[in-house]
Amino acid sequence: MRRAVVAALVIVAASCRRQQPLTRNLNVENKVAMRTVSLYYESPDLLLAPERRDLPLPENPAGALDLVLRELLKGSANAAVPRLLPGDTVVRAAYLLPDGTAFVDLGGPTLTQGWATGSHQELMAIYSVVQTVTSNFPEAKRVRVLVNGEPAETLGGHVSLSRALAPMPSVVAR
Amino acid sequence: MKRLLPLLILAAASILSAQAPIQVTLRIPGGDRRVTITQAGGQILFAADEVIAALGGTVTPDGTGFKATLNNSLAAFGPDSRFGVIRDELIEMPAPPVVVDGRPYVPWQFFQGFLGKTADMDVAWDPAARVLTIRPAQHTIIGVQLSVANVQGISKVVVGLTASTDYTILKDKGAYTIRFKTPIRAPFAEQSYDDPYVSKATFAGSDLRLDLKAVDVGADAYKLENPFRIVLDFHKVAPGPTTLPAFTTPLRPVEAPGIHTIVIDPGHGGKEVGAIGPDGLMEKDATLSLCRRLADNLENKLKTRVILTRTDDSLVPLDQRTAIANQYHADLFLSVHMNAAVVKGAHGSETYFLSLEASDELARKAAELENAAAKPAPAESGDLKLILWDLAQQSYLNESSRFAQAVQEEMNRATHVQNRGVKQAPFKVLIGATMPAALVEVAFITNPDEEAKLKSEDFQKTVIDALTTAVGRYKTDYETRIGVIRAPVTTTSEAKRSGT
Repeated sequence: MRRAVVAALVIVAASCRRQQPLTRNLNVENKVAMRTVSLYYESPDLLLAPERRDLPLPENPAGALDLVLRELLKGSANAAVPRLLPGDTVVRAAYLLPDGTAFVDLGGPTLTQGWATGSHQELMAIYSVVQTVTSNFPEAKRVRVLVNGEPAETLGGHVSLSRALAPMPSVVAR
Repeated sequence: MKRLLPLLILAAASILSAQAPIQVTLRIPGGDRRVTITQAGGQILFAADEVIAALGGTVTPDGTGFKATLNNSLAAFGPDSRFGVIRDELIEMPAPPVVVDGRPYVPWQFFQGFLGKTADMDVAWDPAARVLTIRPAQHTIIGVQLSVANVQGISKVVVGLTASTDYTILKDKGAYTIRFKTPIRAPFAEQSYDDPYVSKATFAGSDLRLDLKAVDVGADAYKLENPFRIVLDFHKVAPGPTTLPAFTTPLRPVEAPGIHTIVIDPGHGGKEVGAIGPDGLMEKDATLSLCRRLADNLENKLKTRVILTRTDDSLVPLDQRTAIANQYHADLFLSVHMNAAVVKGAHGSETYFLSLEASDELARKAAELENAAAKPAPAESGDLKLILWDLAQQSYLNESSRFAQAVQEEMNRATHVQNRGVKQAPFKVLIGATMPAALVEVAFITNPDEEAKLKSEDFQKTVIDALTTAVGRYKTDYETRIGVIRAPVTTTSEAKRSGT
């Protein structure tokens, strides 16, 4: 009888840990198609302007988000358009919550050690991410930027990252 | 036994699905008891209501934060700030409180700050034994040094202490007394000074009495950290039937409405160098030298009290900068920065005020609505400012926008650098300021021409004069609107006439 009780406890414990698979058909849900995306870089008038690029992307926005951000960080196709985030920045992860908040987790040596920059450049860098995410993914209403998986105060001492940021039309070229 | 089986399974399931609250020992003079803790960001946080209730007090919600009350003392704290507040003093915590199921959890340093400052208790947390001990303070004797020096018509009395301590300042006719809350080791019993305002200093018990040479001498008192010092600036006060309170707080001598205390924030500092120019000029150095001279200029021209958030190359956390302004009950906050851009040729100055809204269109609309109501900034209410928290600046957006406008207009007028206008951004240093606040980007340090300008004496003077005029203009405008009868100190036209 004692053995039966132990076995029952083991079954209860095991059933508590069992997880449902996220999807049963990965091929259908992550079907890849070519899509034209807008990547935001700084224009000579010191505002963010879109650059169109064709990318093969999964149809599932959660899967595509990360790829679009990695593409943004590659920089503009025009060599004269400068990079906004430090050259060694990486996208560690990006995900989208059902409430419309996209989480973008950045990393890299410069952001980890503290980025020496001014307000304008920091604003441009952060809002290039916010603008790129919200303009390509209508489900994303705002973007919360993390550094190395943790909430960060700022990237370089200016723009507060303690809340999710909504797009700011005043930094985008009309 | 068979009948027991379902019960056992149920019990096992409930153990696996629900975690019991984690408790630790609270050791207080009345005996030991258990209090609930939680963990967040690597910190252990204690249920504030349980600890304060064990001592006979209460914790109640208040707006977005909480109020802790114990023996008629009140402390306010909230989940968005690692600074709590007791009257004029701040309680610094290593991490902000968290709220779980409506219950506030705080780091043990909150109790240390609150109970140490108001109930003369010592608080210690032993993480190995998991015991939080609260007991009457065991006082160590604090060494005191005193210096008196007259600089530019102000007699500066600096009381240096070997450890920080609480104190009150009492004003008698012709004397000021600093009453320390801990025993002190006096450097002497009595000493006379050959000073225009201070005649002698006397130590007796835990009191330091400073006798003055005239009754029309007043003092601004403030404290400095690292090392801990209490500073009293003695100067002549306007004669007249001014009734000075018998008890003055150490932080704010003037309570009249208007702009009396201005906090100037030199951007960056220490290892946070800010932007770097092509010729190597660092933003942290450019802002510090400019702000030190700006502070002198503001004090001389506007006769206001000016506090710098840093006076040397030290690293001051962003939230501490606004906390300093809140602590001193500043009436205006100006953060000074130098700009950076990767686009070649970026130049000009711009002034920001805070945007917390989804878009700055929305924020502007809110500011316009406030403008339409012609409402001055909210006055302090009650005996304690409870809105230290995040979003505090939202109540001041209308005034901040006016102040930013004045700064940008004077910068345009004086410096002839490109006008990049008044803008809004969610800048960390402006969040939480309980007064009108703006951030000025003087010029682009990344532009070689503007970097050279920033190094030039002439340009620096022009910027300092422009910012002084802007503060003066905002001050006059604000004080006129709230109906303070006061002669304008500096106006744009006067400033222009005098060549500033």
